[in-house]
Amino acid sequence: MSASLSRAVDILKEVIDAPIASYFNSCVHCGLCAEACLFYTESGDPKYTPIHKVEPLRRVYEQEYTLLGRIGKWLGLSKPISDEELGNWRELVYDSCTMCGRCTIVCPVGNDIVYMVRKLREGMAIAGHAPDGVVGATKRTVEIGSPMGVKLPAVKAQIGHIEAETGLTVPLDQEGAEYMVLLSSMEIINFPEYLSAIAKIMKQAGKTWTLCSTAFEATNSGIQIGVSDLAKVIVSRIVEGAERLKVKTVISPECGHAFTAIRWEGPNLIGRPFGFKVKHILEVLDEFRAAGLLKTEGFEEERLTFHDPCQIARRGGVIEPQRNLMRMVSKNFVEMSDPGKYNWCCGGGGGVSANDDAEEIRLIAFKRKKAQLDEVKPDKLVTACANCRIVLEEGLEHYQMDLPVVGLTEMIAEHLVEK
Amino acid sequence: MPINNDADFKAALAELDIHQQRRAAAAFVESVLHLCQDMRVSSAIAMVKHPGVGESELASAYQAVNSVRVERFTQCGKEADWRSQAGHFVAKAALSCVRPADESPGNIAWEAAMSARMARTCESVAEGTGTDNHEAETQYRILYDLLNS
Repeated sequence: MSASLSRAVDILKEVIDAPIASYFNSCVHCGLCAEACLFYTESGDPKYTPIHKVEPLRRVYEQEYTLLGRIGKWLGLSKPISDEELGNWRELVYDSCTMCGRCTIVCPVGNDIVYMVRKLREGMAIAGHAPDGVVGATKRTVEIGSPMGVKLPAVKAQIGHIEAETGLTVPLDQEGAEYMVLLSSMEIINFPEYLSAIAKIMKQAGKTWTLCSTAFEATNSGIQIGVSDLAKVIVSRIVEGAERLKVKTVISPECGHAFTAIRWEGPNLIGRPFGFKVKHILEVLDEFRAAGLLKTEGFEEERLTFHDPCQIARRGGVIEPQRNLMRMVSKNFVEMSDPGKYNWCCGGGGGVSANDDAEEIRLIAFKRKKAQLDEVKPDKLVTACANCRIVLEEGLEHYQMDLPVVGLTEMIAEHLVEK
Repeated sequence: MPINNDADFKAALAELDIHQQRRAAAAFVESVLHLCQDMRVSSAIAMVKHPGVGESELASAYQAVNSVRVERFTQCGKEADWRSQAGHFVAKAALSCVRPADESPGNIAWEAAMSARMARTCESVAEGTGTDNHEAETQYRILYDLLNS
């Protein structure tokens, strides 16, 4: 076997574990995952069938870990995967998969295809086949603390702006505060209104809160690229910050995969339970609502619909809070088809929007969201993920659809009763 | 009396009718216009300053400026270019100026002022000159001059 062949096979052998083996053995080739994937449904190209995206992993599993596969390889009936072939698979593993999990949820035998894609990404990252954009984001997260290169002075600049705008204090490193608020770089750069909304909501709810100077960033590109060691570094930074400040709850921001990383994968990554709770901002707002701490007035007059971020709703289990909050400020809230758990992805999650090579297929995949919106004809689209928000805006712009997109936290803040 | 703080600034803006708000908003955008080199934005601001600008012209400018705003978002995972991001906020401020009257529930001049300040904040982050800037004071002067012209 040549060095190139041997390297790819060795790397993929390393990432194959018991769940991967059981998933390949369980697959009944039904094709349901294809119909669940917007990259397949909107392009019609069978290469985008989710289980096909992990084909290099399946080949290595079969050739290395099954009797028939080994015999086939020994007889020269099956070809080992080469490093070049693995590199060519990048389009299917990174450009056309947002790890939205819709394929996983429809799989009749319960295969976690997202897990399989992540393991393949892990192998591809080790082999040097991760896209430059995603590698750069991860490198900046580890070195600077933010995938987009946001440093503390920029956060302080935003704090200054928001304090001047709202007349409220944005606490930094406040030991003993009840809540530690995380931000995504996207909110610091593109959507300062999110932090402004938090300041207003916390003031009205009478809650103590803080940002952390050493852990303001929630985004975890280690999860996106598929490198657990890096994901652990990023989670550890948040855990150290929260424990140093002795907060009771860490609030994950309007960012999809940040929630997955810190809430669901975080304790496993660092190998111990957290000494604090992790909640998504939507969960916290809904708790405030239920406790009567969120007093709003007036209703949105327009027809509103809500786009569920995949990592928050389907993968994260947060489905009802956003609906309770929508109904709090809207009497004309309409659901798109397949809401909540079965929502369709915006097409830009899982590192896809950071990947220039993916732009064309991303816009093709957006046709699914366009069709959903055409069906319910809303006046305004509400969501709770900064990345979804920009991907939606770009898709709407591309298809010349005049539809404002707003964040739910920000919309709630606009309806707060002013004391 | 000169305007020295945001409370007085906001109160003065609240007294303006929609046409005066547009004029004030346009003046706030002009103060930071150099941070967004895009003809679609500068043309929209020039148009707003014309007396008697029609709703259809505003709607057309709104579409054009919104495209600039969306194009200039920093995408998730991309390295932040704060100077380019300043352009996003200039476009956002300009969008407030040209928003059709029936889609403007808030005070468009205040919204434009806040976005213009964000643009200046981005510029100061890009230049590494610290986080303080004096755009608020500049806006107080602009409004005072407009009210007394």
